Amino acid sequence: MAKDIRTEQKRKSTYILAVLCALVFLGGIGGMLWNLTRSHERQVEILQDGKILYTVDLDRAEDRTFTVTYEGRTNEIEIRNHQIRVKAADCPDQICVHMDWLESAPIVCLPNHLSIQYADGESASGLDAVAN
Amino acid sequence: MKRIMSVILGVLILMITAGCILQYRKGEGETSCTKELFAMDTVMSFTAYGSKAEEAVDAAMKEIERLDALLSTGKESSEISQLNAAGSFLVSEDTKMLLKAAETVYGSTDGSFDVTIYPLMQLWGFPTGDYHVPTEAELSEVLPLVNASRIRLEGSRVTLGEGQRIDLGGIAKGYASERVMEIYREYGVTSGMVSLGGNIQTLGAKPDGTAWKIGIRDPETEKEGNSGSGAGGILLALPVENQAVITSGGYERYFEENGETYIHILDPRTGYPADSGLLSVTVVSENGMLADALSTSLYIMGAEKAAEYWRAHGSDSGNAFELILVDTFGKVYATEGLRDKIEMQDTERQVKILER
Repeated sequence: MAKDIRTEQKRKSTYILAVLCALVFLGGIGGMLWNLTRSHERQVEILQDGKILYTVDLDRAEDRTFTVTYEGRTNEIEIRNHQIRVKAADCPDQICVHMDWLESAPIVCLPNHLSIQYADGESASGLDAVAN
Repeated sequence: MKRIMSVILGVLILMITAGCILQYRKGEGETSCTKELFAMDTVMSFTAYGSKAEEAVDAAMKEIERLDALLSTGKESSEISQLNAAGSFLVSEDTKMLLKAAETVYGSTDGSFDVTIYPLMQLWGFPTGDYHVPTEAELSEVLPLVNASRIRLEGSRVTLGEGQRIDLGGIAKGYASERVMEIYREYGVTSGMVSLGGNIQTLGAKPDGTAWKIGIRDPETEKEGNSGSGAGGILLALPVENQAVITSGGYERYFEENGETYIHILDPRTGYPADSGLLSVTVVSENGMLADALSTSLYIMGAEKAAEYWRAHGSDSGNAFELILVDTFGKVYATEGLRDKIEMQDTERQVKILER
């Protein structure tokens, strides 16, 4: 009798362990899939000389303004209402400021070697590059 | 129960190792490298796949910086600036090659492509951004200086006509992208791409074997500042392998004065911005240098003459090219060779195929 109960308990705990293992495993797979498939569309990179200074998720970003410096010259970058732009710059041509809020084409400040672009950039549209 | 546990464990281990093997096979000896560089007054991006991808990209970037220092009109120390200042100068092999290619296109386009255009560009203020609409008097003074037939090339010595200044900007990027492809090949790269501020050249196909897909901008949405256009201002996509795709359009650079728009593509014969009824010209060719020079000159020549030029030269061996033209009515023309390749973003829009 006592032996039976022990076997029964052992069987039960093994069963629970197996279910737990399976759950952890499935959870892991699920997480992996979620990470792989979730949209990175609103992920924005701020680059200087091609090196990433900041990565911003516009969907989650809070409104703020910050400054990026290049050889003493500055670009003031503003994030507002889940959008991003160069608010002010002391470069001579002001092209980056005139480009206003970021759309599909990257915002580029040539004098200050700065670019702001969507992380998956042109690949979102299935393109490898855009001729200009 | 022990058996069930070990089966579960076994399956788990199997799945994990299978995943790793798959991951490993995906990256078998192949590395990819993408870098960005600011040079030649633009932003450039380099992409290469291969076991020496990074070395290839680094070497290519070095070469671009060398060419920039050699050819830039904006740098006083450059060979071109020294030639412009002295009027006669012993030049490098690169400059010699560029001048020879420029001379050929100058001849075949009846002077639409002219490297002696620099004084005219300066008069309009395009190099500095200090824009100015010149008076008739100013134009008649500068226009005679624009005449590439006065350049003399003897050995390595280039001699310009009195007061002439040259700018290789209309051909240098095409030459640079050609050089990048050569360097990629030297490093065993079989799949690569370079975008020199939107001047694109590709090597091979993508690593998965499919063609590179290059977007061509819709010049109409560009002029409205590319705002709110759903397709992101892309007119069409073009699959290419081993080819350069180079677009010239008035939308790239222009200024406004008293309600008039003045684009940066100047007609070397009239001295005024090109007004030929075209909004953009895209040249697709294995020869990046040619594609670069032609995109500007065919824009100046207009749709009809561009089509004629293509019929006459479009299948020259080693210099074959195809065209996509967009006119001021928004009409899209493409040459025969691109017939089955063009993927319009807006499928309602028609493409008129130009035949031989």
